[in-house]
Amino acid sequence: MSITLDQLTKRYQGVPVVNDVSLEIGDGEFFVLLGPSGSGKSTLLRAIAGLAGLDHGRIALHGRDVTHVSARRRGVGLVFQNYALFRHMTVAENIEFALRVRRMRAAERRQRRQELLRLVALEGMDERLPPQLSGGQQQRVAVARALAHKPEVLLLDEPFGALDAKIREGLRRTIREVQRELGITTVLVTHDQEEAFAMADRIGVMNFGRLLETGRPQDLYTHPATRFVATFLGAANLILARQGSDGPRWGAWPTALHRPGPEREREVVAVVRPEEIEIARSREDLASSVYLGRGVVEEVIFTGALERARIRLDEAPDAPILAHASGDGAVLLEATRAQFEQRAFAISAGQSVTVGVRRAHVLPTPLSSFTICAPNSSAAERLAGNPLLLDLSSRMKTRIRRHVEPLLGAATPIRDGVASLPGTTVIAAGSNVATDAKWLLDHGVEEILILPEQAASPQRVLIHWTDESARSATLAVSASVLRHLAAEAIYVDVLPEQPPAADRSFGIRALLDARSEARAAHGLEIRTEMRFGVAAQALQQRLDESPGHMLIIGIASPNQLADELAALLAGPRWPVLVVHREREATAHNRSAA
Amino acid sequence: MRDSQPTVLPGFGLTLGFTTFFLSAVVLLPLAALVLLAASTPLHQLLDAVASPRALASYRLSFGGALLAACINLVFGFIIAWTLARYEFPGRRLMDAMIDLPFALPTAVSGIALTAVFSQNGWLGSYLDMVGIHVAYTRLGVILAMTLIGMPFAVRTVQPALLEVQRDLEDAAETLGAGRWYVFRRVIVPAVLPAILTGFTLAFARALGEYGSVIFISGNLPLKTEITPLLIVIHLEEFDYRGAAALGFVMLAASFVILLTINLLQAWGRERMVRRGQ
Repeated sequence: MSITLDQLTKRYQGVPVVNDVSLEIGDGEFFVLLGPSGSGKSTLLRAIAGLAGLDHGRIALHGRDVTHVSARRRGVGLVFQNYALFRHMTVAENIEFALRVRRMRAAERRQRRQELLRLVALEGMDERLPPQLSGGQQQRVAVARALAHKPEVLLLDEPFGALDAKIREGLRRTIREVQRELGITTVLVTHDQEEAFAMADRIGVMNFGRLLETGRPQDLYTHPATRFVATFLGAANLILARQGSDGPRWGAWPTALHRPGPEREREVVAVVRPEEIEIARSREDLASSVYLGRGVVEEVIFTGALERARIRLDEAPDAPILAHASGDGAVLLEATRAQFEQRAFAISAGQSVTVGVRRAHVLPTPLSSFTICAPNSSAAERLAGNPLLLDLSSRMKTRIRRHVEPLLGAATPIRDGVASLPGTTVIAAGSNVATDAKWLLDHGVEEILILPEQAASPQRVLIHWTDESARSATLAVSASVLRHLAAEAIYVDVLPEQPPAADRSFGIRALLDARSEARAAHGLEIRTEMRFGVAAQALQQRLDESPGHMLIIGIASPNQLADELAALLAGPRWPVLVVHREREATAHNRSAA
Repeated sequence: MRDSQPTVLPGFGLTLGFTTFFLSAVVLLPLAALVLLAASTPLHQLLDAVASPRALASYRLSFGGALLAACINLVFGFIIAWTLARYEFPGRRLMDAMIDLPFALPTAVSGIALTAVFSQNGWLGSYLDMVGIHVAYTRLGVILAMTLIGMPFAVRTVQPALLEVQRDLEDAAETLGAGRWYVFRRVIVPAVLPAILTGFTLAFARALGEYGSVIFISGNLPLKTEITPLLIVIHLEEFDYRGAAALGFVMLAASFVILLTINLLQAWGRERMVRRGQ
């Protein structure tokens, strides 16, 4: 491995800008770090170069641990967005800078310089000064300068940011050719997904300091695991579908996307790329797709090779529900059509059309949408304005629905029908929240988000499960939540006070298992802590240590809320997300019965 | 150059005319009068005035002191500018504002203040006296006053130049293997050198012309701590206008030569850069 990053964390004023990033980049690989501005990708690159100190973690280059090696001895070449050429030095002096520092002889320097100038196609420019060169030429000089001392790794920080489209294209090709010719491991940072697709062997997508997913461009595009990657890499329609044993359905219609589903029907998020949408006159005319619904064309934009259309789906009880509804509740579907489709069926704004889906990808995330559950509409209204809920739903590009349930928490016998609350149920914190939560779990709800008034985005998320059977579900939910928060994740395991030695080592194994499962199954890096005592008290203590916490707790039985965890939930000052999964054994019994 | 495009200020003719008029009225005419007055003086009288031992000693102090003060400001002005430009610390803004104080004070006030601190029974002077260093009423005092007066020029010219040197340049040099001292010498100093030279020139010019603060702390002993501007005032008080004008002419000519030399050096440096680039 050329570059090995192990749990890198960098904080600015307590906020992690690089959050537990682990990554391996192979020899000669062209790796692109992609993310929106402020996602921590440049900081990560500077950390690899040795220009940004770390709070935690290790960096190895070609097997050599360089965590505490200064930038000047790391043997990396760095190229900046603004070229960062020495303006008072000629092109030759700029390129020879690293060689001069190393006291190389003049003749050798000249030879190396000429080699590099040939490599970046700037022969004969030796005696120019940087201000006399165009932007593209300056960046070529910067690349040559960064390669002069034969670094093991080449790092490029938005190298095309200051260049116009035509020059960008040419420089991209040059850099890719140079990289192939030298076989040098390269990391490029960009916010431009098209650039990432054009250059990368492998892409890593970052958001909120976390490395969300890595993979080949085509894999990330067709099979994203997270909604951020789905929507950041190209355009995507997120549709809330219901997945049962017969596969996902939207609206009332089976999607014919056969995928073994869970026994119990649950809401999932399906990704539909704009180019996978077919537009036709009527349902019978759909040639290659599954019927989605009917709608009205809002807007048609001609972009050359493709035509982009936005379609407002009709309101109907059986209509599919778009997760990423915009603020005014507009439900617009994005579609792109190639020339041949335009010729087959021309559309214009205002036209009523039928929409079909050729291909959909169901995201593995357990959090599909939020449903507020409150005893009356004014309480529901208050919850809908909760800042943390608004933050989460807008970052997750998902809906908040409202459900008024006057019987919430009442000691009535269990009724059927309440269980159809889709997605994660949201309730307000309060003195009888434990009863409310238990009531919802008894009625079949699986995830409950308990929000204190005016809850803000947390800085630390504590994760705990009281039963091993809730482990993987809790981790999956935690990973989903944490992708949308700039927060650190800490798994807290609680062992009994003064445990026997055997238990102690079992506890450490539990920590390691949790860590490796989080990383392997969800790409989530978590910190681990061990506490001693009674779970509820130990957690309470940990939560009291500092403000800014959120708790995600996995349980196996609704009764636990009412007894052992009741104190923890009694009017919490922090948001709590309860994940409920019944013990495997009980589930088996039921299916056998 | 004539510019046909509309600009904010009215046309080229009008602005050039105004520039010429202003410079003439405020700078050129008074200086010409001085030159004429000096030129109409009989030669022996002129020589008496400008080549007397007392005058020669005053030149040495004025020019030498100003040069030394400008050198001190070059070094410490750079350090102050660096601190203000590169670090964020409590009280930075206050310090930044204090730099300009010597600009605002009547120079006599600076002189009185310096004397109060550095005279034999002043706050610092009494301790310095114990170790045998006498500041007030010596040449050291003259240089001190000249340094104080020139300091803002050195800081204020270098500070914006340092702010403009991108941190990326230093980072680039570091990843290329350069140590701190190397980066400072080869990257930072060349980038701000023109500003440093300008600061030096301004500080020198200001120190040379300084009168108010120096006469308070220098003690004004003929042949020892007497600066040329003071000698001119003494001539004036004796109604010897021609002698004063002659001395003034010498100062004017010498300053002009020195400033011109520095400017030419700078221009030559710039040109050499450009020529090398072609």
